[in-house]
Amino acid sequence: MTLVPVTYKGGIYQHDIVIDLIEDLGGYVVQKHVLAQEVVLQCFVPRDDIELIREISRPIFGEVTDSPLVGTEIAVVSMSLEIHHLPHPSCDIAEYVRRIGAKSNMVSLARGPGKRITGLNDEERDVINEHDIAVYLMGNFETCIEHKMPILLRGIEVPVVVCGGPDKETLIKIVDPPVEGYVGGVGRFMRRTKEADQLDKLDEIVAEIIRVLEKKREDVAKDPLSVAPARLMNLIRERVPAILEVTSPTPLTVQMTGIRVKLPYDMFAPELRLMEIEDGITLGDIAEVAPSRMRDYILVKVLPFSETNTVI
Amino acid sequence: MLAVEYFEVECPEPVGAEYYKQITNDVLLDQNLLKVIEKLHVYIDPKIPIFVAVGILKPITTVVRVGDIANINPQEGKMTLVITEETYLASMLRILWERFGKDRVEQPDRFTVVLYNVPVAAKEIEEIVIGNPSESLNKDLIYAFRQVAPEGFRLRSERFEKGKFSFVASEDTLAENIDELVKSKFALMGETP
Repeated sequence: MTLVPVTYKGGIYQHDIVIDLIEDLGGYVVQKHVLAQEVVLQCFVPRDDIELIREISRPIFGEVTDSPLVGTEIAVVSMSLEIHHLPHPSCDIAEYVRRIGAKSNMVSLARGPGKRITGLNDEERDVINEHDIAVYLMGNFETCIEHKMPILLRGIEVPVVVCGGPDKETLIKIVDPPVEGYVGGVGRFMRRTKEADQLDKLDEIVAEIIRVLEKKREDVAKDPLSVAPARLMNLIRERVPAILEVTSPTPLTVQMTGIRVKLPYDMFAPELRLMEIEDGITLGDIAEVAPSRMRDYILVKVLPFSETNTVI
Repeated sequence: MLAVEYFEVECPEPVGAEYYKQITNDVLLDQNLLKVIEKLHVYIDPKIPIFVAVGILKPITTVVRVGDIANINPQEGKMTLVITEETYLASMLRILWERFGKDRVEQPDRFTVVLYNVPVAAKEIEEIVIGNPSESLNKDLIYAFRQVAPEGFRLRSERFEKGKFSFVASEDTLAENIDELVKSKFALMGETP
């Protein structure tokens, strides 16, 4: 059974029918947003059953659309939190990827700006490495991008997409070490992205992120995870009731190879490690429960089949 | 940039120049400063690195008077000022308090100011100067160019006098011959600093 990421949008009336259906079919609801009279569900559903969900949700005016970024956590790396980069383009891009299902976090560097003075500290590096992919938003000058990329990529292990003012070919030529994705023509700008050509650029960034993540998904599929992170999310929600008290928008953030649990590490890590998943197998057996560099959260990294010899 | 007589961005990287022309335009438009600039030349070289903006301002002679922001309604023993534009309200109140005393100036609500038993005619009140937009102009321009210049360029030198301005910023210590560079950029606009 192949699970595919989709977004369901519909009215609040009888939306629990859809949730029950998704769960009965073996899918998972990753995020649920209730906005006034509307409900948005980001979920993984079996590929063959999408039509069935469409059919059942038709009488209640529900819509099912593909959302390739559901279940991914993206770091949008902005050079600073100054007005030079915010709210355009950093927020525009972070918000745009959110619309198609991703959980995006903005990572702003303490010493991002400049050419000679630029730097990346260990905390920033670790926070970026906790995500599935990092999108670097660079400036408009080739000289600066060429000079600072080696510094900003030091120690980064996740796939990177670089956005910058020069065209794509120039970026490919100047970015060293090479990264996984490039989007040209998106440097620093001071206006809202609302014209058709600007939205095309945002679509180009999304397409590049999807391309890079698809490749990562293929790599993960070669050595499958011991448990699907979306399933883990449901289990934690059932077995660790404290998570229901967390007021953060996404108390459990699903990633491609793990899950971020927004509970204090010291108090809840032992409980999580001992949490039974199935047939006496605990979470500690098939995943690494590590402290996150983001506040005092917990980062659960699911181990692949090759390391645990188990797939649940 | 219709209102500006001369506007050029010079940069060894043509793509960068194009983007910075857009950024300069957007920022100045956002801050409502295009109408005060007559000529503007921006020079950026990321290799050095340096950012220079030189320009000529349009002369601003108008001052804001009470009559510009309020309608005065004289009555028996009092005068009611109906405020139409709040921007200069705070400075107007300060000036009225200084002149007539706080006991004679009252603001019952956001858009009304009442003067009690003031010994001057309504015409005279209308003529009181309460603001000079050109005073804050230099500050606004510096703020705008700090947004235009690349963020890492934190060492700055600004000069604003006699309707001409220059703004130089860099990531490294500014070279001593900055004045010559500024002069050459003014020359491109057919002006002298």
